[in-house]
Amino acid sequence: MARAGGITEAVNVGIAVQADWDNREFISQISHNVRALFDFLVKFEATTKSKLASLNEKLDTLERRLELIEVQVGTATANPSLFTP
Amino acid sequence: MAVPIEEAMSALSTFSLEDDQPEVQGPAVWVSTERGATSSPIEYSDVSAYRLSLSEDTKALNQLNSLIREGKEMESVLYTYRSCVKALPQLPDSMKQNQADLYLETYQVLDLEMSRLREIQRWQASASSKQKMLQLYYSVLDCLWPALPLVANTLQLQQLGPVTCIVLLTFTQVSILWQDIDSMREELDDLQIFLSTRWAILLNLHVEMFRVNNVEDILQVLIVFAVESLELDFALLFPDRHVLLRVLPVLVVLATSSEKDSESLYKRVKINRLINVFKNDPVIPAFPDLHLSPAAILKELSMYFPKFSAQTRLLTLPAPHELPPREAQEYPVYCFDVNLICDLVLKTRYAHMDIMEGHLHEIPSITRSFTYQRHYLIVNHIGAIRAEHDDFTIRFALSLNQLVLLKSMDGADIEWCKEVKGNMYDLVVEGFQLLSRWIARIWEQCAWKFSRPCKDPVLTESLEAAASFSDYEKVDGPVSGGLSRFLWVVRYNYSAEERKALVELVSYIKSVGSMMQRCDTLAADALWETIHSEVQEFVQNTLATMLKTSFRKKKDLSRILSDMRTLSADWMANTSKPESELQALQHGSEESKGSFFYSRPVAPTAAQIHCLQFLIYEVVSGGNMRKPGGLFGNSSSEIPANDLKQLESFFYKLSFFLHILDYTVTVATLTDLGFLWFREFYLESSRVIQFPIECSLPWMLVDYVIESQNAGLLESVLIPFDIYNDSAQHALVVLKQRFLYDEIEAEVDNCFDIFVLKLCEMIFTHYKSWAASELLDPSFLFALDNGEKFSVQPMRFTALLKMTRVKLLGRTINLRSLIAERMNKMFRENIEFLFDRFESQDLCAVVELEKLLGILQLAHQLLSRDLSIDSFGLMSNEMQENVSLVSYSSRLASQIWTEMQNDFLPNYILCNTTQRFVRSSKVSVLPVQKPSVPYAKPSFYCGTQDLNSAHQSFSRLHSGFFGIPHMFAIVRLLGSRSLPWLIRALLDHISNKITTLEPMITGLQEALPKSIGLLPFDGGVIGCTRLVKEHLKWHSKSELKAEILRGIKEIGSVLYWMGLLDIVLVTTYGLCSNVQQREEDTIHFMQTAPWLGLIPGADGQILESYEEGDSPVVNLFKSAIAATMSNPCRFNPSSLYNISKQAEAADLLYKANMNTGSVLEYALAFSSAALDKYCTRWSAAPKTGFVDITSSKDFYRIYSGLQIQYLEESVQPPPNNHEVLGDSVAWGGCTIIYLLGQQLHFELFDFSYQVLNVAEVEAAAINPSHKNLLSLQGSEALLEAMKKERRLNNHVFSMLKARCPLEDKQACAIKQSGAPLHRIKFENTVSAFETLPQKGA
Repeated sequence: MARAGGITEAVNVGIAVQADWDNREFISQISHNVRALFDFLVKFEATTKSKLASLNEKLDTLERRLELIEVQVGTATANPSLFTP
Repeated sequence: MAVPIEEAMSALSTFSLEDDQPEVQGPAVWVSTERGATSSPIEYSDVSAYRLSLSEDTKALNQLNSLIREGKEMESVLYTYRSCVKALPQLPDSMKQNQADLYLETYQVLDLEMSRLREIQRWQASASSKQKMLQLYYSVLDCLWPALPLVANTLQLQQLGPVTCIVLLTFTQVSILWQDIDSMREELDDLQIFLSTRWAILLNLHVEMFRVNNVEDILQVLIVFAVESLELDFALLFPDRHVLLRVLPVLVVLATSSEKDSESLYKRVKINRLINVFKNDPVIPAFPDLHLSPAAILKELSMYFPKFSAQTRLLTLPAPHELPPREAQEYPVYCFDVNLICDLVLKTRYAHMDIMEGHLHEIPSITRSFTYQRHYLIVNHIGAIRAEHDDFTIRFALSLNQLVLLKSMDGADIEWCKEVKGNMYDLVVEGFQLLSRWIARIWEQCAWKFSRPCKDPVLTESLEAAASFSDYEKVDGPVSGGLSRFLWVVRYNYSAEERKALVELVSYIKSVGSMMQRCDTLAADALWETIHSEVQEFVQNTLATMLKTSFRKKKDLSRILSDMRTLSADWMANTSKPESELQALQHGSEESKGSFFYSRPVAPTAAQIHCLQFLIYEVVSGGNMRKPGGLFGNSSSEIPANDLKQLESFFYKLSFFLHILDYTVTVATLTDLGFLWFREFYLESSRVIQFPIECSLPWMLVDYVIESQNAGLLESVLIPFDIYNDSAQHALVVLKQRFLYDEIEAEVDNCFDIFVLKLCEMIFTHYKSWAASELLDPSFLFALDNGEKFSVQPMRFTALLKMTRVKLLGRTINLRSLIAERMNKMFRENIEFLFDRFESQDLCAVVELEKLLGILQLAHQLLSRDLSIDSFGLMSNEMQENVSLVSYSSRLASQIWTEMQNDFLPNYILCNTTQRFVRSSKVSVLPVQKPSVPYAKPSFYCGTQDLNSAHQSFSRLHSGFFGIPHMFAIVRLLGSRSLPWLIRALLDHISNKITTLEPMITGLQEALPKSIGLLPFDGGVIGCTRLVKEHLKWHSKSELKAEILRGIKEIGSVLYWMGLLDIVLVTTYGLCSNVQQREEDTIHFMQTAPWLGLIPGADGQILESYEEGDSPVVNLFKSAIAATMSNPCRFNPSSLYNISKQAEAADLLYKANMNTGSVLEYALAFSSAALDKYCTRWSAAPKTGFVDITSSKDFYRIYSGLQIQYLEESVQPPPNNHEVLGDSVAWGGCTIIYLLGQQLHFELFDFSYQVLNVAEVEAAAINPSHKNLLSLQGSEALLEAMKKERRLNNHVFSMLKARCPLEDKQACAIKQSGAPLHRIKFENTVSAFETLPQKGA
């Protein structure tokens, strides 16, 4: 027959199980929150990255434009004689 | 000051985490992939707390688990085993003395490899013996699950055996050479026998097992369990299903081959059920590139198990290779006697491929394969899958929204709350099942494809490709190894439709996976709560009912049931809730249910579930293994069918709870497509280090999406890269092989580069053709029959262009910036190419250039809506080398100027009537050195071939002449910036020409006779012409004459060109046809005007606000300097001084833009100023004060002589001089005459005019009846030419009078430095003959 002989101290086990449920509710709450926090961090990282990327893109464009303007100013200042009326 | 957790967590949600990233990739970040529920992290040590005396069972369970774990490791070792034979160093004969050292080194290296193989042997031994131990605890149903994979593992190890024995043989060889074999010969032999004997593990297992008594019972239970699970298909995830399918044939063989009672199996399981199972799945995936076939396994094992060979019904099942011909290709690897292979290996490792070929054609074709084909190929299911996907996504999102809504509400209705959460749970289960089904389809399709290589070897295309791939294979002989086999099973085995379906299915899996994964934390407590309530519902209510009713009498069983209640019931879940709420709840529910419980988000532990399952099994079976029927068959009369059903469904539910509790792990498993990359088996059987990426399935998918240009698939193009992510993860975490990861990484790097390249080309081409088709004339398209071929299919690149973080092997790649970078480069290259192309053609191509640049600009405009790239002006300035502020020339302007100087002015002739210049056919074309037209892809023109030809035919219309359209193009291309530069260059050209003409004219002047009188009327036309000829003795100077005419022609051409420019400029700026340019200029003006102090006047004139002195900007800086000077300690005045100087310069530069006027007038004024220098020589003031008739050597006289001579020449038979010079000679000559103030002199004294007068008189004098006199006949043509010339000259003069009236206009001239000079008054303007009536007027 059944090799497991049944629960020997049913009452004690019942109390322990109940306490276990309560403890585990606390644990699962904690672990759930930790996961939520982690999730948040991952999302935060992703958002930040894409925001930085768009900033970077704007800076890139500006940088290139600035480079051009610098060259233009450079040509102007290199030939001052042209501007004497 | 502590903050409550809830508050802290909810504070997180106040962060704005909006992200405009489209979801076009699968999940790549897993929050947690630790298994917490499906396998007990503490190895069931908590089971003992329930006092169920299960400790021995759990011990066995743990042992089995660890066996499986080890077995899996062995499996991955074997699967990733790569032969190192190729790498063994060989010594040249000259170094024989070092041989021993070398072999020692080699031995040491190989020994390491060998130790891994020995490990496998050891594991096999321990597995067999431990399985024996398992018998002791056989009645534990829980052991079923671990036991099955164990057998499956051994089975898989078997399959890999032959591959590794190659290494072994090499090792033996090396050892022999090393001459130190005595010590290990025995061990080696043992190992060799183990590895090279087929099914050795299974045979060993068989021997070990049947030492125990009731092994048949265990086997039967296992078979029953497997068959029932497969038939029920309840909540089975695909890996479990495949394990069952793999293990079943072996179990059947083992069960039937037992010594006694071999038929009892069929009493419990009807043989038809088994056959059905085997028939439904003729091919089972085992490894990524290996598959099994139950029928083949059965057949082969019948050789080893004589008792089993009596089972003819099972043995007649068709193996997959028997379905159609050529099917067998996959299988003989195993069928072959391994020793035979080993023998062959040392000669040519893959000779056995040839042998197999012989077998291929013997097998008859069976049409049944088509039904399998229909079953296995995704193409045939994709429609249903699509519908499932759409339906599921909508419902899942809906349920998710409800959950969010619920969370944001306080005090929601408890029933609704439960319903929403339960709904979420159902959807998650459904999602898992969907994912499981879909991914199983991919696995099975792969296995099917591997079992059926491409059947169409005659495809020339593929044969050519195969030939090109053979470069990869350094084959010594004609034998082509695994690569070509791999080509047949993968590369050519997927049709376009199948690839499409595969991409679609993969992206469904990935998108559903990422959707489910994203809501992990959101849904987790809802899921836990539902599971909790399900368990409690069963334990507290269902079991209570059962105890009260059907089990009341049965003491044993009811004790088990109450044990179940004890170990898992959560009686007090509602205590922590406020009292009032609880009361309301209890009050409400008391009528409906027996007891109410408040569910809380806590999951049962693995141990609890294990115990519950154990107890249920015990209730049902009563511990009796030999019970006929199934597990939950209605065998026992003790339990009512209804209760049995409840118990059964709860039993299966429990095992599925674990998967849901391990939410992320399950999602990760169910979306893991890494197997699509692995090809270790084929790799090992080929001679290459790695296959080319064209054979790699993920890359084939990416490539297909790009090549197919399918707008619907485009957004899935990144999905196949997730396969790489998965396979890299698999290589590192499961297979634990660094070299595999390295190979994947290398392939991904390569693939991604190619992908970006191809994608950019595609984007560029698409936008180019879009722009080109927009710019086609709509009326032209409307009139066209096949107009639709010029329209462009819309494609949505927006999602891809937004991707700033593509997740690839743990890296984050900014695809958007990569594309932008490449686009910047491509646009620049394209502009460069267009200029190159223009430079290799003549000036007429300027219209084409303008059109192509226009298309490019529009494409740029369209693209920059979605992507931030450099402005087009910036790029074109850069490519035109036109950035400098002080230089006005540009690449284009100087090219136009060079072209005009070298080709246009000398070689083109003007037609006054059509206002066009055409290339003269008569002038010997100077060979101008031009670069050849560079080649470029169609995307550098207009995108597609069709559009190219359409635009080409438009621009061809303009390639033969130069006229108004070309002038428009030049004006638009050069803009207000470089145009003045060009005008200046042309004006200088005029003045140079005049300078070079001067000495030649002097030469002609000297050759004139002292006096030339008026032509006598009595000589008649013929006499007059003869007289003129006598006067003009320039025969010796014909070269000089031609030169002068050419010079005058060029001057005329330039002036006419200026006239055209004038017309175009007025049109361009007057009608604002070039709106954008005009707009830019206006904006520019608006920006600069306040600084320059310009204010609008009353009638639209621009006034300067300041009276005397400087503009505001200069003033500002001057006052700043003054302030600094007075207070010198603060700033460095010198820098400010610099700024001030620059302001003055800017002031001057910008103000120059404000002056506009007629270009032609300017040009005329300039040329008249240039002529001034020669005024004295070309128009001498008469000494007498009267008009000098006879002795004048003024310019008009020279020109008159030139004109009549060339008119005479022009009426001669060819070569026709007029075609050489055109109408511009008249323009040049008349302009000079006019500007010198000699118009009336010319009109009076010109030879041809005089001849015409004479002819008129002659015609009037002679009787009309004698009109056709012989004397006139010869000169008819000449007279006609003269008349034409006179008309032309009159036209030019009237034009000049209109544009440059000499009388009252104070023309302004230009100094050589370029500064305008207001002075000139023409001295000889008013003429006494002005009032005389003109001829013919």
